[in-house]
Amino acid sequence: MFKILAACGAGVNSSHQIKDALETEMGNRGYDVQADAVMVKDITEDMMKNYDLFTPIAATDLGFTSDVPVVDAGPILYRMPAMAAPVYDAVEKVIKESGKG
Amino acid sequence: MSNLATDPLFNENEVFISNASNQEEVFREVAESLYKKDLVTEDFINNLLEREKNYPTGIDMSVVSPKIPNIAIPHTESEFVKTRMIVPIKLTNSISFHNMIDPSKEFDVRFLFMILNDDPEGQSNILAQIMDFMARTSENELVSFFKASDPKDIYSFLNRKFMQYAKDND
Repeated sequence: MFKILAACGAGVNSSHQIKDALETEMGNRGYDVQADAVMVKDITEDMMKNYDLFTPIAATDLGFTSDVPVVDAGPILYRMPAMAAPVYDAVEKVIKESGKG
Repeated sequence: MSNLATDPLFNENEVFISNASNQEEVFREVAESLYKKDLVTEDFINNLLEREKNYPTGIDMSVVSPKIPNIAIPHTESEFVKTRMIVPIKLTNSISFHNMIDPSKEFDVRFLFMILNDDPEGQSNILAQIMDFMARTSENELVSFFKASDPKDIYSFLNRKFMQYAKDND
């Protein structure tokens, strides 16, 4: 299983939309994906080690460095296929490269 | 709590037309009213201001259509609210917000969809419903809607469209 960490400021709306969208779209593309939605301020270095991909809404300074790949997922929020497609393709590329999913 | 997609997300009594000239002014105006009705906690306003500063919520609609005004979706962490609804706020004066997906950018906003969400795990995603409304309503209808200045008209249009799109998604 490929694990994704979605994050936004409140962990309420945006990150949950990213989580739902990525699980649905990557599922449709045939990948076994699980995403969690959290507040940016709650992310720790140890937490990040449990994930294969980090998908914040916008470029985010976590206060530590991480080897986990990052895809900015903000455009997904528009709910418009043309804007979401490049994000989905970037996520799929990371999944393929990981050998998981 | 069912949180079905077709549950009403708007309250006719919670639609605002604000003459505020900056973020803090409009946030305080609306937060004070919501607190008096026990819809949010006393700390709601502080979390709202802090969150907007650190994690802005402006959404640039010019990428969809230059005729549609930019919007913002201010909200807090769930512990500061006691309900699940959207509070529409029409701004008579443009107010500057930073872009949610690129905080280095700033633009004028004319309408706020303030999200009160005490149940982030609920079945229907409120933000997704707002963006469905923006993406699926015709440009002409949106242009007309954003010119409306009667809270009753704003409420009835939003309620009708959100219910329609929610049913379409079922």
